[in-house]
Amino acid sequence: MTGPHVEKFIVPIGPQHPALKEPAHFEFTVDGETVTSASVRFGYVHRGLEKGAENRNWAQALYLLERVCGICSHAHSTVYSLGVERLAGVTAPPRAQAIRQILLELERIHSHMLWVGVAAHEAGFDTLFMYSWRDRETVMDILESFTGNRVNYSANVLGGVKYDLGPAQADSILSGLDYLEKRLHYYMKVVNNDESFLGRTRGVGTMTTEEAENLGAIGPVVRASGVSRDLRVDAPYLLYADFPINVITATAGDLQARFVVRIQELFESTRNIRALVEHLPEGELAVRFPRKVRAGETVSRIEAPRGGLFYFIKSDGGENPFRVKVRTPSLRNFMSVIVGAVGHQLADIPMILSGIDPCFSCNDRTVIVRREGRDGSAAPSESDSRKDSSS
Amino acid sequence: MKIGSMLGEIFKSVFRKPATVQYPYGDRKPVPERLRGTVRYNPEKCTGCTLCMMDCPANAIEIITIDKPNKRFIMRFHADRCTYCAQCVVNCRFKCIEMSNEEWERAALTREPFTVTYGRDEDIQKFLERTSLASTQEKP
Amino acid sequence: MSMDISPLLKMLVFPGGLTLIALGLLYEYIDRKLVARFQNRVGPRVLQPLADTIKLLAKEEVIPAGVIPLFFVSLPIIAMAGALTAGLYIPLAGFAPSFSLPGDLIITVFLLGLLTICIGLAGANTADRFSLLGATRTLTQLFSYEAPFLLALLCPAILADSWQISIVDTSVTGHVWLALPLFIGFFVAVIGLMGKLELAPFDAPEAESEIVAGALTEYSGRGLALFRLGKDVELVIGITLVSAFYLGGLSNPLEFLLKTLGLLVVVAALQALFARLRIDQVVGLWWRIGALLALLQLLIVVILKGVIL
Repeated sequence: MTGPHVEKFIVPIGPQHPALKEPAHFEFTVDGETVTSASVRFGYVHRGLEKGAENRNWAQALYLLERVCGICSHAHSTVYSLGVERLAGVTAPPRAQAIRQILLELERIHSHMLWVGVAAHEAGFDTLFMYSWRDRETVMDILESFTGNRVNYSANVLGGVKYDLGPAQADSILSGLDYLEKRLHYYMKVVNNDESFLGRTRGVGTMTTEEAENLGAIGPVVRASGVSRDLRVDAPYLLYADFPINVITATAGDLQARFVVRIQELFESTRNIRALVEHLPEGELAVRFPRKVRAGETVSRIEAPRGGLFYFIKSDGGENPFRVKVRTPSLRNFMSVIVGAVGHQLADIPMILSGIDPCFSCNDRTVIVRREGRDGSAAPSESDSRKDSSS
Repeated sequence: MKIGSMLGEIFKSVFRKPATVQYPYGDRKPVPERLRGTVRYNPEKCTGCTLCMMDCPANAIEIITIDKPNKRFIMRFHADRCTYCAQCVVNCRFKCIEMSNEEWERAALTREPFTVTYGRDEDIQKFLERTSLASTQEKP
Repeated sequence: MSMDISPLLKMLVFPGGLTLIALGLLYEYIDRKLVARFQNRVGPRVLQPLADTIKLLAKEEVIPAGVIPLFFVSLPIIAMAGALTAGLYIPLAGFAPSFSLPGDLIITVFLLGLLTICIGLAGANTADRFSLLGATRTLTQLFSYEAPFLLALLCPAILADSWQISIVDTSVTGHVWLALPLFIGFFVAVIGLMGKLELAPFDAPEAESEIVAGALTEYSGRGLALFRLGKDVELVIGITLVSAFYLGGLSNPLEFLLKTLGLLVVVAALQALFARLRIDQVVGLWWRIGALLALLQLLIVVILKGVIL
């Protein structure tokens, strides 16, 4: 066929597709095996969590927001707690802050190891997938024995934490980390040396530093492209100022660099956890938190495993949050998939997609992107990237 | 630069026990001490402040007053709604609520077994009488 | 009144037909179990492949819109028939092949290829995009491994001066030392077999994280069961053929079991060791390296034949 009616061969991926563990809809136009354009649609798991938070009191919303993401649950509950505590003028005791930080880093280990497995599975390397998930059980067990649950730890309360780090927990953490570090060194060797795996990761989904900046990428994705962007260093919270981490960056910007960055970050995490466990501040676990939070608004940010996590919290002085706005890191990385997919083989698409460690249900809050020219009222300069959000 | 770099590892794992836990059968892993299982309620010290009820994110707790002056309360706990977050345990100033690390396998085919009523036996009796009275009055 | 039922028995019960299917299911189980153990998992139970097949056979077969129903129904049958027919020409379980004629090596290889072609056509028959992509990949892969695989199988045949499987088998049994100079051919044949069976790392045509189930996405019930059985049968035939040609022949059931199972361990380990190859990598690998290696082996064979035999 010729002329404007050239038939396009579109491969729909999702909302139900074995490569996606959560629903989202991608359309890839392919020419043979090469992708020529891509688009994405979300919204299949919109749960109305932001509105839900407005109907609950401050403590109840903590547990609701912990369930925004199944992997970085502690990150969500911590970023919310930090924001609400700032609004209320309450500071968690240092020991609670240290415990929160330990849990954040343990969660990073579990999230990144999960990602190594998922990405290996997308590349058809199931052996690495099985092994990394088997070893991930170690950190899950640590978290379970520490907090009593494997996924939604619920370790935070407003004003502190629930669970103390006793000698038994410290021992299990330290011995677990020893094993994990050994295994991580091994996985590092595999992802850097295995020729068949390198064939699927090297040069795939490459994003240059400039592109990464322009697309507003975040987290390990942008660090693998050579941008040093990490909220733990740029805007330290909890005890990151006293127990700092080093930002890991790589320059290649491809999938292999993302593997290397993520695994090396875990070495930083284990070092950080060890330092915190050894120098755990003494003191109380939690301070009293008022039922009503004085009126005001705040922005709370932390570095979740997938990148910077952003919360806007507003109080009107009542028992419930007036407004909670959540922006999860995956949302900022999706553009890199859509742009990066063009020109690649269809076989690489699952790899590129999983390369950003996407979390779809995190994303699904109403986002309206107003494009230039469509909306007369919005000024052209800001309309392009303006996101209006309501749940 | 290696081809098949996991060779040693895969042959080692043939001789290892599978990592899979055959959950309902076989050896069980010990349950962690802090595991958050079913909520338990001790009516002796309860003052009926209902702080546990107010902060429960899942409305899984009902504190029912039987006799306010004598501090007689019972708790209806809905295990199917509970998210096991332990906020009620933190909120209770009199340590009336705890979470069991033994009772956590609660699968059932109907919803009835998930509703548990805690309290002194005579109070529960009274409560049941009251509800059955109410339901018979409703029926006519 | 005398009626010879032995050809019928040979075709339906042993060594063709039921035995072949039973062996296929058993070998599929062993393969899956081994891969699982390599990955530190538990793996399936012995009867799992049989249970899968029975379950599929019991299910309703949905004929999707946009297909030619005749092809949709008949392609699995042709594929299965091709695979079962190929079983009649190989020294299954170490016994002499049921039927033997000059040039049956080519017939067998063609019949094995028939299965792949049927899968490709079945994918091309449906309107589903994943099936179409899978069909393209299946056929692309067929064109890349078929020539080196056939060349690799021809090397022992040239040495034996015959293209008849039974003669090659006996000739190889007489010259076990030949396995050494034929090592390259063995390597190519094993990898070619894995490509033929679409086992990892050559499973791009059915890569579930990309194109769901490839060419067979629209198949369910009986059709899918037949294709799967056909692949299991092909696994047995391929492994038998390679061990007959390269591992010093198959002359008795014990030898058959030891050699084929040994080969299966190698195949399973290779499945666990590699990441899936992209289809362009598969084609590149076969035509850049596989074909060259097969030609090199052919050269060695010709020199060997001229010098020694």
